[in-house]
Amino acid sequence: MEQQYIRNFCIIAHIDHGKSTLADRLLESTSTIGLRDMKQQILDSLDLERERGITIKLVPVKMNYTAKDGREYVLNLIDTPGHVDFGYEVSRSLAACEGALLVVDATQGVEAQTLANAYMAVDQGLEILPVINKIDLPSSRPEYVIREIEDVVGLDCDHVILASAKEGKGIDDILERVVEKVPAPLGDREAPLQAMIFDSVYDNYKGVICYIRVVNGRIRPGQTIRFMATGGVFPVEEVGVFRPGFQPCDELAAGEVGYVVSNIKTVAEAHTGDTITDNGRPAASPLPGYRKVKPVVFCGFYPVERDDYPQLRDALEKLTLNDSSINFEPETSVALGFGFRCGFLGLLHMDVSKERLRREFGVELVATAPNVVYEVVTKDGGLIEAHRPSDFPEIGEIQEVREPVIKISLFVPTEYVGKVMKLCQDKRGTYVSMDYLAPDRVRLVYELPLAEFIIDFHDKLKSQTRGYASLDYEFIGLKAADLVRVDVLVSGEAADAFSFICHRDSAYYRGQAAVRKLKELIPSQLFEVPIQASVGKKVIVRQNVKALRKDVLAKCYGGDITRKRKLLEKQKEGKKRMKQIGKVSIPQEAFLAFLQVEEDEEK
Amino acid sequence: MRKNSSLSHEIGSSLGDLSGPFSVYIHIPFCLRKCPYCSFFSVPATPGESEKYLDLLKKEILFYRAFLGEKSEASTLYFGGGTPTMLSPGQWEDLLSFLEENIPVSPCAEITVEANPESFSERHAAVWKKRRVSRVSIGVQSFSDGDLLWLGRPHDASKACEAVRTAVLGGFSVSADLMFGLRDQTLRSWAGSVKTALGLGVDHISLYQLSIDEGCRWNSSPPSGRTDGYPFYRWSQWYLPRKGFSQYEIASFSLPGRHSRHNTAYWRRDPVLGLGAGAWGFLGEKRYRNEGSLEGYASSVRAFGGSVAGMESVSGEKAAREAAVLLLRTQWGISFDAFSHKYGQAILDSIQDTLRREAPADCFSESPGSLSLTPKGMRVANALWSLIV
Repeated sequence: MEQQYIRNFCIIAHIDHGKSTLADRLLESTSTIGLRDMKQQILDSLDLERERGITIKLVPVKMNYTAKDGREYVLNLIDTPGHVDFGYEVSRSLAACEGALLVVDATQGVEAQTLANAYMAVDQGLEILPVINKIDLPSSRPEYVIREIEDVVGLDCDHVILASAKEGKGIDDILERVVEKVPAPLGDREAPLQAMIFDSVYDNYKGVICYIRVVNGRIRPGQTIRFMATGGVFPVEEVGVFRPGFQPCDELAAGEVGYVVSNIKTVAEAHTGDTITDNGRPAASPLPGYRKVKPVVFCGFYPVERDDYPQLRDALEKLTLNDSSINFEPETSVALGFGFRCGFLGLLHMDVSKERLRREFGVELVATAPNVVYEVVTKDGGLIEAHRPSDFPEIGEIQEVREPVIKISLFVPTEYVGKVMKLCQDKRGTYVSMDYLAPDRVRLVYELPLAEFIIDFHDKLKSQTRGYASLDYEFIGLKAADLVRVDVLVSGEAADAFSFICHRDSAYYRGQAAVRKLKELIPSQLFEVPIQASVGKKVIVRQNVKALRKDVLAKCYGGDITRKRKLLEKQKEGKKRMKQIGKVSIPQEAFLAFLQVEEDEEK
Repeated sequence: MRKNSSLSHEIGSSLGDLSGPFSVYIHIPFCLRKCPYCSFFSVPATPGESEKYLDLLKKEILFYRAFLGEKSEASTLYFGGGTPTMLSPGQWEDLLSFLEENIPVSPCAEITVEANPESFSERHAAVWKKRRVSRVSIGVQSFSDGDLLWLGRPHDASKACEAVRTAVLGGFSVSADLMFGLRDQTLRSWAGSVKTALGLGVDHISLYQLSIDEGCRWNSSPPSGRTDGYPFYRWSQWYLPRKGFSQYEIASFSLPGRHSRHNTAYWRRDPVLGLGAGAWGFLGEKRYRNEGSLEGYASSVRAFGGSVAGMESVSGEKAAREAAVLLLRTQWGISFDAFSHKYGQAILDSIQDTLRREAPADCFSESPGSLSLTPKGMRVANALWSLIV
């Protein structure tokens, strides 16, 4: 296909603004998918995505469209994930396109993420076509939303398309406008090969399948290619296009979007953003913009049944074949036994991964409360990357602790501004700016420690604004903060599973909460059990689990003796399965309850 | 059934091997009706059923008599239930005289019958006295009408008083069973029950907390409002010794010399011959259980005399640990010489070591020759036993 008849575009939308439904309509309208095969939200390939109504993995698709000018065009639609955790993936998808549909819900207006992604698209020089969706809804107010797009995003809305993906309105307009407005891809088909990987998936039969946009040159089976960032060299076995299933073809040339299979074993060898070139005739330089994504949120995954540890390991290995942004390493916890410390791009990413492990691999697991990575500078000048509380050195050795900080933009109806500002302040936020997007909507910008953000920020924001606020964030680096490790001591002995890092000012409060919770969860023992929270050597909170006062003691004659002995033996067995911290026996369930309560509270 | 036969013979020959005294437990499985918290075996009584049952008991007694050696005799007899007073005085006369004729009973034997207030009469007392019954253990449970109603007992407080009075006047050593942890029970009403019992002249009190075990009616739908047992038990441990009742076991208090020798036999792992449907026995380190249902018991006894349906051999370390737990129920505790002689020094050392290491020091007391639980230790005995079982 000649370049001038190719259009590569993507859809930018906030969660729930109808992106997936719109994509479905485009497929239908171009007969890419027969009605027979139509199921809702075709491009969301994971069950989970369909259920949650969010897009995690991108599934591109090639459509043939005969425009009003009578010519046949190829439209490559590259779906983008709508969640802030996957910002880098979004940027790579955008880089594979020349145009973007900016879909805004006619009832909701512009949201934080819409704006962030729209700006990202503008930065990359994409042609942006505004689409107002859901105009069929009685509460829709397209004029208002158009004004907002013009005022807030700064886009010209003279040619805005009014659509209802649900009812199929405006779909033809969209296709026509894509052909008309989105520039045809440039690129020299005779130049050395440069193809950008915008995603990769693992297939049991084919190995890793890289999704690529060819920028210059050509790629065909038999060729030997090189991955410019990792240096890996592989023979091309198959290239093809998305229909939306995999359909092999002879070659992919500059401007085209498709996939390449080349006997790669893990997705870690084919990073998103990397450039593929011809090994024999390499390009002078890779395409710009590659970076390796680094996990920012960490948590421990432990099998519920200890025997399931190997199963969890296998499942994680398979999951990372598919998603190289997850990393994991073994760790042990006094409370939970053997497990893994796993890193994720964000909270949703963590949640989704956990859910996928459960559904796709049948592993039941316990996730500990999420935390971020800290940098600890020691007095002797060393630098420690602390992934967990136990990585922290003794308090006397610490010179400085640095924590990751994000810049967060919040779109908030005016009446909630006060509450949101208070929330940000409570979360140790630093005010950056506030501006009115419209008379009744404000954009607030704060700098916020990531650690505070991953603790219940979303939930609190939602409940305090009744769901009317939206947010977007980006990392701005590490900043020094007065952080301490709070240890929890049970009967004078530190229990690693219960330690946490927090700001010195909230150490007392959070220590108190942890101690109170443990007091409820630890059953009475023969001795009084003090539970303490300490910072360094200094105890800041103490509560006691009162000693057992009385057992229920029954009579014991004749046949009762056997029953009684069996009961006691069972009790003894049960105690063996408990965790001993000093003389104190803590049931596994108490650990789980503690960690899960933490999670529930902190999500 | 063949299994019952060989098990019964095995128990019979263990009985024959005895060279010293033994205890006999006889189960009378009839009740007026079943209490909602009770998981013991019992059936409603009809006159014909109880007659048939007595005949079977006699057959079972004859079966074991054949094994009995010359030297052994019963030192305690205990009739439990069920409700033994569901048998008429005439049936008692019959049963007790049959026993005397067929099982050698020591002249100073302790013979106890459990009695329930609603069916116990002066005529029972008269027959028992004549036949050397020495103790009557009365299922009072409470001297508060409200408690008794809630428990579904077929008697009221005045009936309970009358029963205790009758037994005391009959010249028996009398024990009263009392329960705590009942709905809305107050310490005041509990104290009232305990004091009433003492005032009526009992010399023994068994007190225990309402517990809802598997197999009782309340198990599937437990009643609400049950009270924490601690204050009742704690108060009893304080009050009863002041009235001369020492706590000689977790659930038992008595005047000096009036402890139940039969129950003590269980805790010392002394031999017990169990007779009747659902009865348990312990002979030759084997704990055994008779057929639980009346039909099963009847057909087995008719076929060959015995009715042993299940048996557990307890030996080695398991036996030693079981013995330690049982001995620690009592005020006498573990006597080092006797224990190490029977079970070995090593296990005794291990038990002592565990307690010293893991139990609070005020839960047990060590005298030069023995180790026993303190009153505090008795309150948390389950936790202590689970360390050493």
